Amino acid sequence: MTTADAIPQIDTDALPMGDSRDQAWRATQVAPLIAIADGYAVTTRRGAEEVLKHPDPFSSAKAFEFLQSPVPLVPIAYDPPTQTRYRQILQPFFSPRVIKPLEAELRRQIIALIDPIARRGHCDFVSEVAQVFPIQAFLTFFGLPLEMRDQFWEWKKAVIGLASAGFGAEGDAAQEGITKALEMYTYFTELIPQRRSERGADILSQILAQQPPNDLTDPEAVGLCFLFTLAGLDTVTDTLSCGMQRLAECPDKRQEIIDDPALIPAAVEELVRLDPPAPFIPRVTTTDAQIESVRLPPETRVSTYLGAVNRDPAVFENPYDIDFHRPENPHISFGLGPHRCLGSHLARLELTIVYDEWHKRIPHYRIKPGTTPKVHWPHGTIELESLHLEFDKGEG
Amino acid sequence: MKLNIDGDACTGHGLCYSLAPQFFEDDEQGYGHVIGDGVVPNNQLAEARTAVANCPEKAISFVDDLNLSLALNEETTS
Repeated sequence: MTTADAIPQIDTDALPMGDSRDQAWRATQVAPLIAIADGYAVTTRRGAEEVLKHPDPFSSAKAFEFLQSPVPLVPIAYDPPTQTRYRQILQPFFSPRVIKPLEAELRRQIIALIDPIARRGHCDFVSEVAQVFPIQAFLTFFGLPLEMRDQFWEWKKAVIGLASAGFGAEGDAAQEGITKALEMYTYFTELIPQRRSERGADILSQILAQQPPNDLTDPEAVGLCFLFTLAGLDTVTDTLSCGMQRLAECPDKRQEIIDDPALIPAAVEELVRLDPPAPFIPRVTTTDAQIESVRLPPETRVSTYLGAVNRDPAVFENPYDIDFHRPENPHISFGLGPHRCLGSHLARLELTIVYDEWHKRIPHYRIKPGTTPKVHWPHGTIELESLHLEFDKGEG
Repeated sequence: MKLNIDGDACTGHGLCYSLAPQFFEDDEQGYGHVIGDGVVPNNQLAEARTAVANCPEKAISFVDDLNLSLALNEETTS
């Protein structure tokens, strides 16, 4: 039995995440289990399997308790069997069969975003593409008007700010957040009964049309809408911004996908491996638990550091290389076990079509001289502040 | 050589049926299933192995088949 003192302590906030994500993740790989400010983190594939595949004792419900969410965060903040039921209800609507038909419309939308940028010759990829497209995809998925994009941007910013501080936070900023969150809450609570009575072709209408025992209550449906804005927007923004930065910095890798667009799905997997959409997965133990022969008491926070797990040398050859030809890439950027990311199929589609349509129109680009893409850090997510790109103006 | 998916381990990442659609199909929940009897012809072993190796849940395996073990052995030793 290892004693707790023997576990290396890592100051996550002090990691060089802002300038070099690779260096930062490398600094966490000092041991399979590391001690962090509010508990522990696993950094290997084996540890990740131990934690993420065993909701008992590694609970999600407990991990999300601190949010004090006023709406039930379906299904992320639940453990089996409640979570299993939610998954069974929701999974068919997030499956490839349902997502694939959105492709044509989403391609049309991303082309409409990229074309004016191609004509202009420069852009901030983060604010002009990576932040807006996931919101449009969400609106399209739920059959909401695209004109609501900027409104949702404002709402989700407030809700995420509130969620990172905890919904019970106090102060002026929290008050402002609560006001915006309430607006979004009101919007969804009015939308849901409306969609129940006038069913559209959108996915939300279909989810709401489910018959007992597969029906969601109004609060559960509002919770699902909230969760989508919390878990489905910034995650794609972040991984897409970081992936695009890597492509901008590695012209040889970029050339590979320009020469062979059929490589894009593999490139998506590789870029997502290096920059996971949600890199820190929280769990809290319900009972005594053990990882790597360390005994953890109940109520211990155990995070899974996906960026480290995806660079586990026991699983990946040359884990720090960008390689679009890996014969094996079993990364777990979309999680593992019962909480595997519900939106992974939509996320993969979004990423694939952005990289595809962008490189068709803007194959050669560079980071604007004098600007340096930086991750906002310390933070609960890995978010690029901006990514200024320059390129020759296209005909469009 | 035969493919098998452990239905309890599969959580629906969907990589198998996107990487090797000749061997796997999805259901309406997005879970992967082996098509037909799962027998892999010798000349398509590489594609099948790719699907096995890329499953994040390690849910896919080759079920015991003498020919397959021989083929795999040959490949690793050659």
